[in-house]
Amino acid sequence: MMLLKLAWLNIWRNKRRTIITTTSVFFAVLLAVTTRSMTDGVYENMIHNIVGYSSGYLQIHQYGYWDEQSIDNTFEENGELNQKLLKNPKVKNIMPRLNTFALASYSEKTKGVLVLGIDPIKEKEVNNLDQKISKGTYLESENENAIVLGEGLAAQLKLSVNDSLVLLGQGYHASSAAAKFKVKGIIKLGSPDLNNNIVYIPLRQAQYMYGAENRLTAISILTDKNTNLEKLKVSLQGLLDSDRYEVMTWKEMIPEMDQFIEADSTGQYIIIGVLYFLISFGLFGTLLMMIFERKHELGILIAIGMKKHLLALILMLESIMIALIGCLTGVLGGMLVVTWFNKNPIHFTGELKEIYENYGIESIMYFSNSANIFVVQTLIVLILAIVLAFYPGYTVMKLKPIDAINS
Amino acid sequence: MAKTIIDAHNLSKTYNADTVPVKAVQDVHIHIEEGEFVALVGPSGSGKSTLLNMIGGLDEPTSGSVVLDQVEITKLPENKLIDFRLHNIGFVFQSYNLIPVLTAKENVGFVLQLQKIPKEEREKRVLNLLHQVGLEDKLNSRPGELSGGQQQRVAVARALASKPKIVLADEPTANLDSKSTANLLDIMAKLNKEEKTTFLFSTHDIRVIQKARRVITLVDGKVESDVQQTPK
Ligand SMILES: Nc1ncnc2c1ncn2[C@@H]1O[C@H](COP(=O)(O)OP(=O)(O)OP(=O)(O)O)[C@@H](O)[C@H]1O
Ligand SMILES: [Mg+2]
Repeated sequence: MMLLKLAWLNIWRNKRRTIITTTSVFFAVLLAVTTRSMTDGVYENMIHNIVGYSSGYLQIHQYGYWDEQSIDNTFEENGELNQKLLKNPKVKNIMPRLNTFALASYSEKTKGVLVLGIDPIKEKEVNNLDQKISKGTYLESENENAIVLGEGLAAQLKLSVNDSLVLLGQGYHASSAAAKFKVKGIIKLGSPDLNNNIVYIPLRQAQYMYGAENRLTAISILTDKNTNLEKLKVSLQGLLDSDRYEVMTWKEMIPEMDQFIEADSTGQYIIIGVLYFLISFGLFGTLLMMIFERKHELGILIAIGMKKHLLALILMLESIMIALIGCLTGVLGGMLVVTWFNKNPIHFTGELKEIYENYGIESIMYFSNSANIFVVQTLIVLILAIVLAFYPGYTVMKLKPIDAINS
Repeated sequence: MAKTIIDAHNLSKTYNADTVPVKAVQDVHIHIEEGEFVALVGPSGSGKSTLLNMIGGLDEPTSGSVVLDQVEITKLPENKLIDFRLHNIGFVFQSYNLIPVLTAKENVGFVLQLQKIPKEEREKRVLNLLHQVGLEDKLNSRPGELSGGQQQRVAVARALASKPKIVLADEPTANLDSKSTANLLDIMAKLNKEEKTTFLFSTHDIRVIQKARRVITLVDGKVESDVQQTPK
């Protein structure tokens, strides 16, 4: 108690210096928190948009499906399984899917395509897939004998709404699969890859065509943007029979995107690192001045019977206090900025808006308010303050009382 | 028979032994008994501060030993020595003795807090001491708000807070005017009588020397004379 009080009083001996130091910490943390929040927000949004329309955040497959993505590695729909999954509070929704490949042909053109058997109603509710329709209309039910296909693909096949597309593929247990569907709508998706290859078919139609009644390749799981996927994965694995099912995150299924984000973040970490390096110098300078000015007093304290490690502890507390004042106000400021931007989102304009919209991502800049960001920055500053306080502590430990008193 | 409280044997201190050696203290024997009120005098550079610092365990002698109340402090490891000082020695330095951010009351109470004395007892002792040094109306003043003489009185009160056996003071009145000097000396003499604390203080001031009951004179690091006298 006495130590805390003394440390607190000491840091205000030179008010101006303390304010300058805490202010520099404040700005560094504010900057770090808002940039982290901004880029994380952008990434989260990007993931949400791309992952949401393709894999989902997590998928459940028949064990071994991912290594050999064949229609034979499907599993039977199972109401009990669905109930189990939905019981987990992090699981916001589940979507049954039958993903497979086919050759699509229209007049003279033929092309390999990605076939997604979906529940149109659910995809509409969850992904607003219907809003991506650029021509024609969206699918109405699981049973409808119609398809929707990517804009790029439609252009390559030179086909438009109301034309009929023939799909040819390999069915369940080597049966042959062939069917003809009316194109009901054309969809514009963010990811060019999807846009150029995808065909959406109502789930029951897909199952029927592939001779895989009631079978699915995957259950796609939707969760919140900032859910910890690894944790959710582990808890889902606990629910399921691991010999029959595998659980995978989007990072495992789309590693390219994960790598892109990692690479993009690295640059930012370097900038934030430099920032913290600079404020470390400021804090360190302050600490050095503090012990330099107080040598005489430190000598007196040792003379009258204060142990050196207590003095070192006081100096460490002072360092932590200065850093934490800056850090906590910085975090608080960061929270205000993030909350404000979440209430009043930045809408991109001009070129940037176009780029975003071309990718099918809303042209809004989201800020992430994941607690992680704030906690991590606080911890970094705290650790810096402790590490930096080692030097003054060391100086105190080897202080000779008489030399200190005479200085 | 009174008991020996300070016993310095063959005490020597040589600075810069490997370049230009300065023999600050040479082969000093000093023997002081409990309750004495001793002035250490001598010209500037005669070794008074060096001797006091070695006796207080703030500086290491080049040779010889210091025994305080039967403890050979020159052999104690650092933390034990600090603890010994906390419980047995009160210090008054020439100036800037106090912790500037703490009030007079807190400064005096600080040593007691280090000794983990319970709050109530602490409070009582602090008030009593500040009363004895005549500062009962300055309890909550910080050192910056006190005059030099008042600061030294607080320092004396702090030196006595832990009921030490010995108070060592290196020129405690050097920065004081004559009135404050007389006042501080009277307080020290009174506490010496009432608390039976042994005082050893260095000084240049003839009026301070007159208040002592024993005067040890150092010249060139050696004891030149050691006389008992009746204080004026
Ligand atoms: N740290 C040191 N390094 C080298 N020499 C020193 C040191 N401290 C003191 N001395 C020398 O030791 C001698 C004794 O010094 P000391 O300070 O003990 O004298 P003093 O009697 O207290 O003098 P004053 O009355 O001026 O305070 C002096 O010659 C001084 O120059
Ligand atoms: Mg001196």
